[in-house]
Amino acid sequence: MNNLINFKIDGISVEAKKGETILTVARRHDIYIPTMCYISKTTPCASCRMCVVEAKGVEGFVLSCNTPPTQGIEITTNTAELEKERTNIMKLYDVNHPLECGVCDKSGECDLQNKTLEFGVSSQNFTARDQSRKIEDWGLISYDPSLCILCEKCVHVCNEVIGDDAIDVKFGGYSSTIIPKNADTLDCTFCGECIAVCPVGALISSDFKYSANAWELTSIPATCAHCSAGCPLEYETKYSGIDNGSESIFRVKNNFEFTSLCGAGRFGFDFDNHAPKSENAFTNAVTAVKGAKAIRFSSMITNEEAHTLELLKEKLGIKLFNEDARKFQDFMNSYSSISGKKHHSGSLDAIKQADAVIVIGSRISTDNPGVRYAITTARKHNGAKIVYAHPIEDTLLKNTATQFLKYEVGTEEGVLALIADAILKEADLSDRERAFFNDLDLGYLAAESNIGDEEIALMMKSFARAKNKVLVVGNDLMAHERSRNIAKLSAMIEKYSPFSLVVIPSEVNTLGVSLINSLDVDEEMADNVVGYNEKGNFVISSLEFANLSIPSLNQQEGTFVSIDNRVLPTNVALSFDGYTLNDIALACGVKTKNTVEYTKMLSSASGFKNREFDSLENFLSPYGDDNRGYLLDEVTCAMNGELEEIGDLPEFNGTVIYHSNPVLQFNAYTNKTKQLEKDNTLKGSAQFAAAARISDGDKIEISFGSRVIQREFKLDNSLKGTVALNPTFDNRVDASRYRFEKSKIVRVIHE
Amino acid sequence: MKNEQFNNRDVSDSYFLVDIPDYPTDGWGKFTRVVKRTFRGELFVGLWVVLREMIKFDIHTVQYPLEKMPIGPRYRAVHEMKRLWESGTERCIGCGLCEKICISNCIQMDTKIDENSRKEVSEYSINLGRCIFCGYCAEVCPELAITHGGRYENGSEQREHFVMYEDMLTPIDALKAGKQLEFEGFGAITPHEDERVKKTPLSY
Ligand code: SF4
Ligand code: SF4
Ligand code: SF4
Ligand code: SF4
Ligand code: SF4
Ligand code: FES
Repeated sequence: MNNLINFKIDGISVEAKKGETILTVARRHDIYIPTMCYISKTTPCASCRMCVVEAKGVEGFVLSCNTPPTQGIEITTNTAELEKERTNIMKLYDVNHPLECGVCDKSGECDLQNKTLEFGVSSQNFTARDQSRKIEDWGLISYDPSLCILCEKCVHVCNEVIGDDAIDVKFGGYSSTIIPKNADTLDCTFCGECIAVCPVGALISSDFKYSANAWELTSIPATCAHCSAGCPLEYETKYSGIDNGSESIFRVKNNFEFTSLCGAGRFGFDFDNHAPKSENAFTNAVTAVKGAKAIRFSSMITNEEAHTLELLKEKLGIKLFNEDARKFQDFMNSYSSISGKKHHSGSLDAIKQADAVIVIGSRISTDNPGVRYAITTARKHNGAKIVYAHPIEDTLLKNTATQFLKYEVGTEEGVLALIADAILKEADLSDRERAFFNDLDLGYLAAESNIGDEEIALMMKSFARAKNKVLVVGNDLMAHERSRNIAKLSAMIEKYSPFSLVVIPSEVNTLGVSLINSLDVDEEMADNVVGYNEKGNFVISSLEFANLSIPSLNQQEGTFVSIDNRVLPTNVALSFDGYTLNDIALACGVKTKNTVEYTKMLSSASGFKNREFDSLENFLSPYGDDNRGYLLDEVTCAMNGELEEIGDLPEFNGTVIYHSNPVLQFNAYTNKTKQLEKDNTLKGSAQFAAAARISDGDKIEISFGSRVIQREFKLDNSLKGTVALNPTFDNRVDASRYRFEKSKIVRVIHE
Repeated sequence: MKNEQFNNRDVSDSYFLVDIPDYPTDGWGKFTRVVKRTFRGELFVGLWVVLREMIKFDIHTVQYPLEKMPIGPRYRAVHEMKRLWESGTERCIGCGLCEKICISNCIQMDTKIDENSRKEVSEYSINLGRCIFCGYCAEVCPELAITHGGRYENGSEQREHFVMYEDMLTPIDALKAGKQLEFEGFGAITPHEDERVKKTPLSY
């Protein structure tokens, strides 16, 4: 069957696929049609009418951005009438537009400026009584209505890609503006995507405002260092002051046409390390490493650093501790033992194109905003059914999730078994595997996990017509004591059903570390442990209180492995005067001059291609193709795993806390930045407060496991139930623990 | 975006030291240096020229620095920053065009948002050691804020020497006294400019 539509644009024969519009086809063939409101990643805003074209046999003009072509139609994109129409639109846009390009932050990269020059609008021919419009300060974002051209791009991204749906157009003819939706001031997740897409200077970062001109900034293509979504971004740097030779990052930009950033990536860029160079500290570090029994390190490092650590391990015969990556590795090994391959099959793109998604075991909108945006895109653009399975409801998903499966804390294994059972009803399983499902005590699982038959049935019904399905599993599952069996169940779903699987690595390079390092169980020994961006007896770190300072991730080149199984390069945005891990390795007898020489040595047994760092690209094509780095090769593994019987489902009673960060906070690096809010209170519902006998604003002491920490308690009315959210970004909790924890909470009374 | 520029990892300084013998540190060394420098032949050549002119008695030299030649209004010496005549506010809006256009890269500025939500220049310096006094900055300035002045004496002990925003700005009392001079060099408005401005039609 031929699904292609053949037609002509400006005499050139072209073909359109189903769902394409005249504009997308034209762009694909490099035929220029001017637009002011079009943005590839959303549905057409269709507000500017710049994209008009003529179609043979059709009266009047056609909007190319939202019209699909019909078979055989002949389109003309450029005639005198069209030119006149477009020029008139530009003249209208320019009516009373303040002539403040001289100070406007957008100057030099402003669509209105460009198009005004392109259409030669040099004077104002139309009139309108101007109005007084107040500049709004919305926290990280400020809005100047007199610059706004009402293209509606911001509203579309916020609603269709981000999912906050926080802003709206207030219609009123010439006095139309953008307003916070149903609120006095903007209360959203502050991703800043609206700033990025705004073609003019109407929406601007409050921090950046008036601090530099676009053309003075140097762009450094990099990869976001905060979570495993691995979003592409550009750090923009300039000298930090006239009396100061050093540079600093002024802002972060992204290719907003095709990709999105969350606020941590966009506003949390100043985590660079600036400790003075100390030779003494270096000598001590070398001694400490040589005498160490183990190195404990975090996953916020590049693949090359991970490889260096591995070499040190071989050379010095020490142990490597990284609980977060080890648990992930363990999970993936169990996964491989069933699926027969090393890497999960899904990706963010697969989620965007899906029409059915299950998310389990993650508070996704704060754990990994990249996944959240992919889900929102699937929901808004494909009408996907989104099932969110978690013990705690998330109001941020209210516009996205179509079904909420609330299960009891700790029963993840049971829940996944129920889901797998439903999905694999008809699947062609081996006898042993079928026997496993036949032996399931569904009644017990349903009762303990609190997931009813009808909920599962409803889910299956809503998926009935779906073709592209994705299962997303989060890191509640990785740190679960039954994580191995959970991994196997996930692998079963991926193997025997159309579902593809995405496993969310918890930190930016958890996946990379898990592929590179052979990790040992952290024995928490009392001495001779060197911490690398982690706790230890001697700390080598890019954070505060380090015995030896090393560069942060925006001061390093190297690669990460993202959730897409893609090896992504990142570059040096700011220089660092001091020592790196490679210097220590050199001093310990590992011989490689530059850290990036390790890029080509990364193990092909894990799927790395032996490619030089310098050969890795970092850009998206004008059509949106991802040319960043490379995808890991698939690696086959032995299929020697067996499903185990489901264990007893645990019960968590009383005041339970869940280690989960507030929006835009991830780790000690985001905690270090100037703009991101640092709310490290314990947040709980009124029900939780009643159970713990505390109230809003109380200073409390939380004990769990062997730890005791102090925090303030904040009542959060968007939460329900008896689980409170305990942040980990301030490093007071080891983030690799199972995220739900029975706790004891007492009020601290100060005399 | 291509990555080539990031592939050069040679971070060694491109500066090098000129081959100058070390300065003497001991007394004898210093003494011989003074003697060597003082009793060079060239000294007497200069002295002879002065003596010759003195005994001729028809001197045309301007008695600089007591006496100075008048400077034409279009002369391009050390920059000035002008104020608005009516309000006295600084004309510079911090647009950064002068910084961008400067071919010797000697202007550096920092801007920020001020308490009235306007763009404000917080720091501004011109490295006069690099400036070639081409006048581009004055020409590009949309506000007629940066101009050239007549102060051409900028001797200094070192090559890098800077003039700051505050030094260039017309003092407020000079403005009140009507002493601010408009610049007539290129970039200044031409006479009869008013007649050429296209007026925006108003609906009221
Ligand atoms: S910052 Fe993000 S969430 Fe907030 S209004 Fe803008 S697009 Fe929406
Ligand atoms: S604020 Fe910007 S993006 Fe939003 S409607 Fe106005 S011009 Fe368009
Ligand atoms: S923190 Fe994650 S979602 Fe946010 S910009 Fe960075 S990589 Fe993307
Ligand atoms: S006169 Fe020329 S060289 Fe000097 S600051 Fe102005 S633009 Fe730069
Ligand atoms: S060009 Fe003029 S207005 Fe612009 S920054 Fe320079 S001096 Fe100020
Ligand atoms: S791009 Fe089609 S209406 Fe704006």
